Amino acid sequence: MNQFSLQQGVTIELEQFPHIREFALQKNATIQLNSFIPYTAEYLQIFCVTDGKFEWAIDQREYVLFPGDVAFVLPGQRIGGSKGFLDIGAIFRLQIEMKFSESTDSSLGSWSTLSPADQQSIERQLLVNNMAVLFQVKEAIEMLQQIHAELMAYELGRVTRVNHLLDSLLIMIARQSTRQADSRRDFPRTFMKLEQALRNNLAHQWTVEEMATLFGLGTTSFTERVKHYTGFSPLNYLINIRISEAIKLLKQPNVNFTDIALDTGFYSSQHFSTTFKKLTGYTPGEFRKRSVPNDTN
Amino acid sequence: MECIVTVELGTNAVRVMAFDLQGNVLGTTKATYPTFHTEPDYSEQDPEQIFITMLYVLKNFLTEKIHPGGYRVISICFCATMHSVLMVDKNGVPLGNAIIWADNRGREEAQELKGSAMGKSLYESTGTPIHPMSSLVKMAWLKQHDRERFKKTNKFLSIKSYVLQQLTNGYVIDYSLASATGLFNIHTLKWEQAALDFAGIDANRLPELVPVFHTPGKLRNEFQVSLGLPNSVKILVGSSDGCLATLGGGVWEEGKAIITIEESGAVRIIGREVVADPEQRLFNYLLAENCYVSGGPTNNGGIIFEWYAKQFGDFRTAFDVEHTMQRLINDAAEVPAGADGLIFLPYLLGERAPIWNANARGTFFGINIKHEKKHFVRAVMEGIAYEIYSIGKTLQEHRTINSLTVNGSFASIPICAKILSDIFRLPVSIGRNPDSIAQGAFLLSATELGIYKSLDEAARTVVLATTYQPNTQHSKVYQKYFRVFERLSTKLTAEFEELSNLQREA
Repeated sequence: MNQFSLQQGVTIELEQFPHIREFALQKNATIQLNSFIPYTAEYLQIFCVTDGKFEWAIDQREYVLFPGDVAFVLPGQRIGGSKGFLDIGAIFRLQIEMKFSESTDSSLGSWSTLSPADQQSIERQLLVNNMAVLFQVKEAIEMLQQIHAELMAYELGRVTRVNHLLDSLLIMIARQSTRQADSRRDFPRTFMKLEQALRNNLAHQWTVEEMATLFGLGTTSFTERVKHYTGFSPLNYLINIRISEAIKLLKQPNVNFTDIALDTGFYSSQHFSTTFKKLTGYTPGEFRKRSVPNDTN
Repeated sequence: MECIVTVELGTNAVRVMAFDLQGNVLGTTKATYPTFHTEPDYSEQDPEQIFITMLYVLKNFLTEKIHPGGYRVISICFCATMHSVLMVDKNGVPLGNAIIWADNRGREEAQELKGSAMGKSLYESTGTPIHPMSSLVKMAWLKQHDRERFKKTNKFLSIKSYVLQQLTNGYVIDYSLASATGLFNIHTLKWEQAALDFAGIDANRLPELVPVFHTPGKLRNEFQVSLGLPNSVKILVGSSDGCLATLGGGVWEEGKAIITIEESGAVRIIGREVVADPEQRLFNYLLAENCYVSGGPTNNGGIIFEWYAKQFGDFRTAFDVEHTMQRLINDAAEVPAGADGLIFLPYLLGERAPIWNANARGTFFGINIKHEKKHFVRAVMEGIAYEIYSIGKTLQEHRTINSLTVNGSFASIPICAKILSDIFRLPVSIGRNPDSIAQGAFLLSATELGIYKSLDEAARTVVLATTYQPNTQHSKVYQKYFRVFERLSTKLTAEFEELSNLQREA
């Protein structure tokens, strides 16, 4: 395959794909000083080595990449050559616009056919696994070659096919990052990651499916394992954390009940009050009076 | 019918168990809570999450198993891990998370105190070895490095004191847990003034000292309603996990010792007098008046075997560590006693008794070209057992031990119990109730109710199931290798220190 370089706003092939900032296959035959100085990524960047050996620093960690290895850099992370230059070899480089956010809006944009829930799961997984390099992902090279072929051929269904391939590539990377995380041996450690993800976004309406994806498990076997390990179903474990956090907020004067309810992921102050009373025997109001006797709220 | 409920606030989970008045187990359940490590040396837990998890699991257990069975709960006995510190303000609101036993932030404070004359006298009066685990050391650290919070603190509690205060009203701590704080004089049963001075606090900033049979107050009305319990239900303050595991293991008279190995482990004996170890290697905790539980703890129990399984085991399906460990146990059984000369020091988490060296690290020693993968598994299991024996041997310098009881998920694996029997050259029994802590809490409650005349009589009722006799041939092999193990554990001190410093810098 010959090298190529498609740039948004420059090359005509990307005209119908505003979300693809860059797509290139670069063959580097000589070492030039300062040709790959570390910089902060603006977009989601996916690299795939097809030839040679590359030594990079991604997000302050050192990696050595060989053919078949994939590196991905999230917006805001830093990437560059370990010695500031690009090593000899060949790499695919793909940059896609992606907004990482806490909001429930889709992070990819309307071009993607992934459901908002899937998009969030992919995003979360990439963040949680915190793994910049995936080793020996043969499918990646094939997918990138297909994207290139579709872009250049101008056949029927070109836009749909390219966007579908991008979706598939992202799914594949997210799945692979979970598989590669050696956490698949260590349930408690992976569960701790889930615990942190839940606490970081307690207001989110979590589903069991979303939680299970962090483990790379189906919902049935995920639920079974969580029950065995924690003694609770996944959703009851979540309620457990919600109430514990709510108690802390109740003990601070001047935070109102509706804010507490919504911040900790209950639908309403009514829903919060019912759940709270059922478990503790106290209404949130009674509980606050007991804990903060001087409060006048 | 009447029943007794026990609540054990463990390191990773709360376990609830119910017994009828004859001591038959009616049911059991557990639920976990996380430990947070926000800094490398920190181990903290959220007191509210512990409380809510306990309440949640207790409520489910009572509604699903106890109330439908027609049982009436007459008392609930509490038990908890030792050495936790939780600061609360004047309203009883926690100032941050609880600092648990595994927390090592007071490393430097402990080292300094341990070498001093004051350290020696505090060890003798309080029974708690000077170590970062000790509540005293944690408080000294807080005074120095977290002044604002230290000043704002109205009371320094244990996790159990907090849970009991939430359920009833008063701030209490039982003699057993108090004797693990490093602040309690185990001879006079009062807070030790020299320790209070060292921590920089008055006694009124600590909970009230009470015997293990004490009732801190009535269960609050709201909880009576939500848990469906009668007004008459008695809340029993109870004891610590270590003391109750000893009682529940049926260890009472001299000559008996109990080995507990879960994730971590301990060897304990019981006696009317403290074991005065001049090298400060052993603890002396108080179960009841004139009744001391003495022994030594190890950081490196079943958790080390689990670590090995996770790294090197053959996982056929994701997360299936149980079957992976079972296959490794089968492999270990194929290797002769002594692992053909492969020795493993299990100090992956540093070590407490008997070497008390936080810098100690794991080591495979003596690998030769004939060793196979299965030898390493066997060596790991034997290394954990040698370490337990080195604690037992320290105890034997002070007391005679004629028989052993083992319990805990790791020690009760048959091959482990056999290895322990062979290494100690003593008969080993496994308790019938695998949860000896809950068993101990039941015996305590039953004694309080007058079912048994004394804790002594209660302990004698414990039925032991399987017994292993030592194999003389194996014992001889282990004795030879143990000598090397023991020398290695102290010989590498300088290298352990240098390496652990390098690891901390990395």
